Amino acid sequence: MLTLLIAVPALGALALLLVPNRGGERDAVVRWLALGISLVVFALALLLWARFDPATAAYQFVERVPWIPRFGISYAVGVDGISLLLVVLTAFLTPIALLSSWESVERSVSAFSLFVLLLEAAMIGVFVATDLFLFYVFWDAMLIPMYFLIGIWGYDQRVYAAVKFMLYTMAGSVLMLVAILGLAYLHSVTTGSYSFDLEQMLTLSLAPRTQFWFFLAFTVAFAIKVPLFPFHTWLPDAHVQAPTAGSVILAGVLLKMGTYGLVRFAFPLFPVAAAYFAPSLALLAVIGIVYGALVAMVQPDMKKLVAYSSVSHLGFVVLGICAMNIQGMQGAVYQMLAHGVTTGGLFLVVGMLSDRRHTRLIADYGGLKAVAPRLTAAFLIITLASIGLPGLNGFVGEFLILFGAFRWAPGFVVVAGLGVILSAVYMLWMVQRVYYGPVAHEENATLPDLRPREWAALAPLVALAIVMGVLPNIFLSPSEPAVRAVVERLDAVRMERAAVRGPEPIALSREP
Amino acid sequence: MTSTHYLVLSAALFMIGVFGVVTRRNIVIIFMSIELMLNAVNINLIAFSLQWGNSLGQVFTIFVIAVAAAEAAVGLGIILALYRNKETINIDEMNVMKW
Amino acid sequence: MISPSFNAIVPMLCATAGALVVMLAESWRARGERMPLGVLGGIALSAAGIALALLWDQQASSFGVIVADNFGIFVSLVVVVAGLVSIAFSSQVLDRDGIPRGEYYALLLFAIVGMMMMATANDLLVVFIGLEVMSVAVYVLTGIRRDDPRGVEGAFKYFLLGAFASAFLLYGVAFTFGLTGTTRLDGIGQFLAARSMSSSPMVLLAMGLLLVGFAFKISAVPFHMWTPDAYEGAPAVVTGFMSTGVKAAAFAAFTRVFLSAFEPFSADWAPLVWYLAIATMVLGTVVGVAQHNLKRMLAYSSIAHGGYLLVGLVAANQVGKEAILFYLAAYAVTNLAAFGAIALLGTADRANDTLQDYRGLWQSRPMVAGVLTVALLSLGGLPPTAGFIGKWYIFSAAVSAGYYGLAIAGVLTSVISVFFYLRVVVMMYMTEPAGTIAPPVVSRAALATLAVTAAIILYLGVLPTALLDLAAASIDTIF
Repeated sequence: MLTLLIAVPALGALALLLVPNRGGERDAVVRWLALGISLVVFALALLLWARFDPATAAYQFVERVPWIPRFGISYAVGVDGISLLLVVLTAFLTPIALLSSWESVERSVSAFSLFVLLLEAAMIGVFVATDLFLFYVFWDAMLIPMYFLIGIWGYDQRVYAAVKFMLYTMAGSVLMLVAILGLAYLHSVTTGSYSFDLEQMLTLSLAPRTQFWFFLAFTVAFAIKVPLFPFHTWLPDAHVQAPTAGSVILAGVLLKMGTYGLVRFAFPLFPVAAAYFAPSLALLAVIGIVYGALVAMVQPDMKKLVAYSSVSHLGFVVLGICAMNIQGMQGAVYQMLAHGVTTGGLFLVVGMLSDRRHTRLIADYGGLKAVAPRLTAAFLIITLASIGLPGLNGFVGEFLILFGAFRWAPGFVVVAGLGVILSAVYMLWMVQRVYYGPVAHEENATLPDLRPREWAALAPLVALAIVMGVLPNIFLSPSEPAVRAVVERLDAVRMERAAVRGPEPIALSREP
Repeated sequence: MTSTHYLVLSAALFMIGVFGVVTRRNIVIIFMSIELMLNAVNINLIAFSLQWGNSLGQVFTIFVIAVAAAEAAVGLGIILALYRNKETINIDEMNVMKW
Repeated sequence: MISPSFNAIVPMLCATAGALVVMLAESWRARGERMPLGVLGGIALSAAGIALALLWDQQASSFGVIVADNFGIFVSLVVVVAGLVSIAFSSQVLDRDGIPRGEYYALLLFAIVGMMMMATANDLLVVFIGLEVMSVAVYVLTGIRRDDPRGVEGAFKYFLLGAFASAFLLYGVAFTFGLTGTTRLDGIGQFLAARSMSSSPMVLLAMGLLLVGFAFKISAVPFHMWTPDAYEGAPAVVTGFMSTGVKAAAFAAFTRVFLSAFEPFSADWAPLVWYLAIATMVLGTVVGVAQHNLKRMLAYSSIAHGGYLLVGLVAANQVGKEAILFYLAAYAVTNLAAFGAIALLGTADRANDTLQDYRGLWQSRPMVAGVLTVALLSLGGLPPTAGFIGKWYIFSAAVSAGYYGLAIAGVLTSVISVFFYLRVVVMMYMTEPAGTIAPPVVSRAALATLAVTAAIILYLGVLPTALLDLAAASIDTIF
């Protein structure tokens, strides 16, 4: 089942190459085929959800095939509540991303669709892998299609943005690679055999000193991806330069991998270090919330504004994770989904506007409400959801996170609350300048409203933003057992550590 | 005459060879310096052969001489080709490619 | 019936016979007559490959000085495959550049004989002879375009520093002989282990000189100066061959000498190699960033990859030895694909090997661009390619031996190296074609070979188990 989820987009992508499309005479066929494949994947993801048992925290749909047995590496996949939702989100956003680039991507449609589908396969792989080696393979493999998407189909500064994206992410992830290897080695020291299996790793008892280093290595990799202040500088470039489809996927799914990694790997594997570093991480998260909001406020470029708002919103997610209690974590997981939907939607609308006018500057718009009322309505709903208006999806996540964080450290909540207000300011200010007031530029007077294809892309997002706000339990209940398990593990290990002093650290280095 | 004398002689020759390679500018002289190094090794091998009382070192020496001859043939060929291209045998002018 | 003690040298005999036949055929060739010399060479190499495969697990030994153990066979096979792939690319290139076919194929085969000899040598004398047979042939191959100033200059620098390094190596051999009274590697190992001499100056001198000699051959920093010039000057096919074959053979001999004969003194040489590895990885990648010629860039990349291999040598554990073998194989396939692509893109009047020549290659030659991309990603160590598995293997060796610093230096330099590999990718995909260069005609056979190498790179990246097991089986029998 899960293998199918990875294989269908991957093989589908290769199947696209079989469509002879030199010179682009069969672009339409390729587009529909790619969309069809991504819809099949989405249907599979929904089926997965339907058959998922929300009562247990254990991994479901587990598949395990030995891959490199000499090193205890296996192709091991499985989903729990947290990854299930993210898989569904990925499968949901990919067709939308394809739709969003229906017309704006004109050259090399085959290659474009190929990379989008490969990216989808790798992203799903990241979320379902339960073997650290497999996880790392998908994590790094994902960079390649994204790099090409930004670099080939992006805007003017695309090459710079693509290379920066690639190098930043790699620089972080290679340190994680060393930590993963270290873990596997320590596993072989304690049990006599190598293993990269996550559940095996969780049974390891690591000395605090070891935990600190490994936690740092993992967290830097994830923090760059999130991106946590001060590792965020790649994000505005990548977001702004990426084509709309790239931005949607980047904001919707890729950023979640960082926070997912924190929840899935960094915190449970190294609970002692996690407890030690949580306040510092939370501090960075809060700085990111306020900083992102302030910088977003002064952006003249809509895409950049949305990009910085992502920095701010993901700060909330990290804050929720750092709270290490059930509300905070649940809020974080929920906020990942909500942010995927709303920011995906924001990038989509900005992309539509820039397709029409070939500019992303706020100053070039104004008074669009009169010209394109439906577009305005959709955008407004998504904006309000992003701000966190009760009844829409952003609210639930932020509320839970702030609640969880309050139980842990009220001081952070005060500052983070400031971020909530600021986000209302910059988002609404942008809406006002773009959609309200007189039509300041003549070119805008004749802008077409939403076309059917755009409806098809936007409507699901808007609908979901409302559904997630009104009926949050649909999305909260599957992840609850898994989140509870993580929190309990963190608590238990902390208690244990408080009671007895750990063993002496294993000597790690023998460098000259 | 103990083997130490031979070793010192060979070390001196080797050093002269290294010095020549590093400081001289004429390719042919550099090449001769390398040959000198090889011969220093030969002396060393024969001295050790004497010391251990087995003929292995001498066999080795003969191989080294043969190989050095082959190397010299190829080396001079390359130098000749180089001279045809550049009309110089000064190593400072071997600078078509820089790092 | 030949005496069984000849078994271990049968692969070398095959290749030698091939070389001799090619030379003879060339001398009987009428002017203007075309002879299938490449096919002849291919047959000889295939025969050598089959002989090697038959020797697997046989522990054949000839006269005690050539030991065809699995380690040697593995490396020899890598060399033979490198030779076969190079021959497949050569035909088109030789015609285009006007390279004399007979000499070219004969030298290629002789070089392979030397490499196989190095890989299977169990005696320092044989190591030396193999090294020289290989080196002399490769010097000539480097400068085989006699009217090309870059080629001749590269050959000259390679020759000069190579001969210089050989002298150091020989001096080290002489001292080792003086110390132990033998040149057999196993004998040296036994002698040193039995005496357990605590780092006498003589041993250190011998090891140091050998280390310098080998460091030159594997182009470890600071003994790498010849590499960029030789790689840039040589025809791209030859560069591909020497960056894989020479490196594999030199590393095989290096590993064997230091991990069998000088194993008792690993505490003395490991720190030195540690520094060599760090310096090699760092310099190779950092200087690589500044390059504009693709061959030169790959030369620095090849230096850096030598550094990664040294990491495996420092680790010196089971994983490390396996990692060296796997990495050599993965790196060989990758580099052959990369240099093959470069070679095929050249034209008679232009080598087309600067970065600018790759502008928009994706549009004019999608297939070649695709293969080159796969090869570059593999060199950068990105999944799902052979290079990733190789890097991962090397670094897990380092980590499990406790060398976290080496592993971190390795992964960080590999990120830097990705930067310059990406520059090529950017040129190929993200810039418009300059339009000045007529895309060269690429023969079908060469294209098919390229596709096969790319497929192998991806295959090894996804399903490396078979080769990993083979590498492990190669180590089980020695050391």
